[in-house]
Amino acid sequence: MSIDKFMRGAVTGWMASHGEHSDIVMSTRIRLARNLRGFRFPIAFTAEEARQVDEQAATALLNSDEKGYAYMKMSELPSLDRQVLVEKHLVSPQLTDPKRHGAVLLSEDETLSIMVNEEDHIRIQCIYPGFQLENAYEHADSVDDYLEKKLPYAFDEDFGYLTSCPSNTGTGMRASVMMHLPALTITKQIERIIPAITRLGMVVRGSYGEGSEAPGNIYQVSNQTTLGKPEKEILADLKNIALRLIAHERRSREILLSKSQVALSNKLFRSLGIISFARLLPSGEAARCLSDVRLGIDLGIIKDVDMSILNELMIFMQPGFLQQYAGSELTAEERDIFRANLFRERLKIETQSEDNNKEN
Amino acid sequence: MNCDNCNERPASVIFTQESVNGTTERHLCEKCAFQSQMFHFDPNQEPLSIQQFLSHWFGGSESVQPFQQSRESMPEGPTCPECDLTFRKFLDIGKFGCPTCYDTFRERLPRVFGKLHNGHTKHAGKIPVSFNKMFSVKKKIEEIRLKMQEAIQEERFEDAAALRDEVNELKLHLVKEGNGGGEGNVD
Repeated sequence: MSIDKFMRGAVTGWMASHGEHSDIVMSTRIRLARNLRGFRFPIAFTAEEARQVDEQAATALLNSDEKGYAYMKMSELPSLDRQVLVEKHLVSPQLTDPKRHGAVLLSEDETLSIMVNEEDHIRIQCIYPGFQLENAYEHADSVDDYLEKKLPYAFDEDFGYLTSCPSNTGTGMRASVMMHLPALTITKQIERIIPAITRLGMVVRGSYGEGSEAPGNIYQVSNQTTLGKPEKEILADLKNIALRLIAHERRSREILLSKSQVALSNKLFRSLGIISFARLLPSGEAARCLSDVRLGIDLGIIKDVDMSILNELMIFMQPGFLQQYAGSELTAEERDIFRANLFRERLKIETQSEDNNKEN
Repeated sequence: MNCDNCNERPASVIFTQESVNGTTERHLCEKCAFQSQMFHFDPNQEPLSIQQFLSHWFGGSESVQPFQQSRESMPEGPTCPECDLTFRKFLDIGKFGCPTCYDTFRERLPRVFGKLHNGHTKHAGKIPVSFNKMFSVKKKIEEIRLKMQEAIQEERFEDAAALRDEVNELKLHLVKEGNGGGEGNVD
């Protein structure tokens, strides 16, 4: 498995548009934080400890029955390649810090990524398309079961899995769902909902980490508590809240549609026009338009655009990807031009190939 | 801004040092801050960071000024033998340095976890199979030891000897499992 495939391969596992409630929940992610006994945590360890942790984790995984793990040391990857991994959500920005001795092991379909020497020694991450909390957890859990046989996990009878940050202690599990909530955002209901969810022990963020701004109306909902509750219960609580958000979003969409259909379709089609014909496309505008077109497809207003293309564009519109695709470093303005070209091309290619299919 | 020390990672902790010559301020990253002796948390950074959360809950007063003064007099607390982290430093940076920190600060942690995890202080989820086994072996050893003491008190010395052998065998088993925690000693 070449690194090129990961970097330039068209669509990574979680971008495919399927799974339950995939019109609203774009992806589901489970992350398990684990550490090894006998080594200090990355915040305090030496380069030698880092090397040993890396070696143990990599050896265990590369010798497992699951074939096709690709192993990459962050320090050996060009910075653009690291950025692309971050933009695909396969590694965290923190891992790419070359001083961290970070590495990642990726499964062939990129569903699974195991980060080594991030904030914790090991972080098992599993991303599934759509709303699949149980499936994603079972997958991550099976990798964890395998690793616990090979590696001396730091575990305590009282505190559970020992992690560097006390906010992960216990299960070490962070479960999150990435949700597209345009109607709740347009109607400003999201501003009331976020504090309510926070009181239930969950966190809501914009899709790229902290901060309240949610580019493209995409929000990440995840559990805050990791101690005192079994994994299954945490997942059930999160599922419950996500289901309520989904129902809320659907209701708001219906209301929008019934109250202002013309104004709404006008807005959504204009956005389709922008991404289909723009010659300069800044990332903020691209994210906003993609959200509109996605909503248009979900509502049946926009018919001949494939959702998976939108998912792909959402990833490809980011700076790292654009430059990878261009094969060179680009200035901000060059990126906007390039982004516009890419969008036009992808949206056109798709309509053409559909036309071809109809002819056949 | 990058860290004053390594100039590689972004600075997230402000380190202030007061001396007769005045106050010096250094901006450090998490890692360098951890390695330095003393530091202050920057209250203007990430409004809801874990450090701030912990410092506010356990550092004393709510407002920043008196809060900083009270920190000066706050004792360092126990020091982790493995990574030299003191309890006070743990509250400052909001991170443990190694698995042993949990043992070092064990008595103080329920309060910290209670605030972070909605009142929960004890793990209720998955347990690694090896720990599960070890845990049950330890429990068994405890049970046999009680029986052994009973036997001794009732002067059934042969029974006691047999029980002792049983304990020793189980202990050997624990060592073989490589629990490494040094808690296998039931003597």
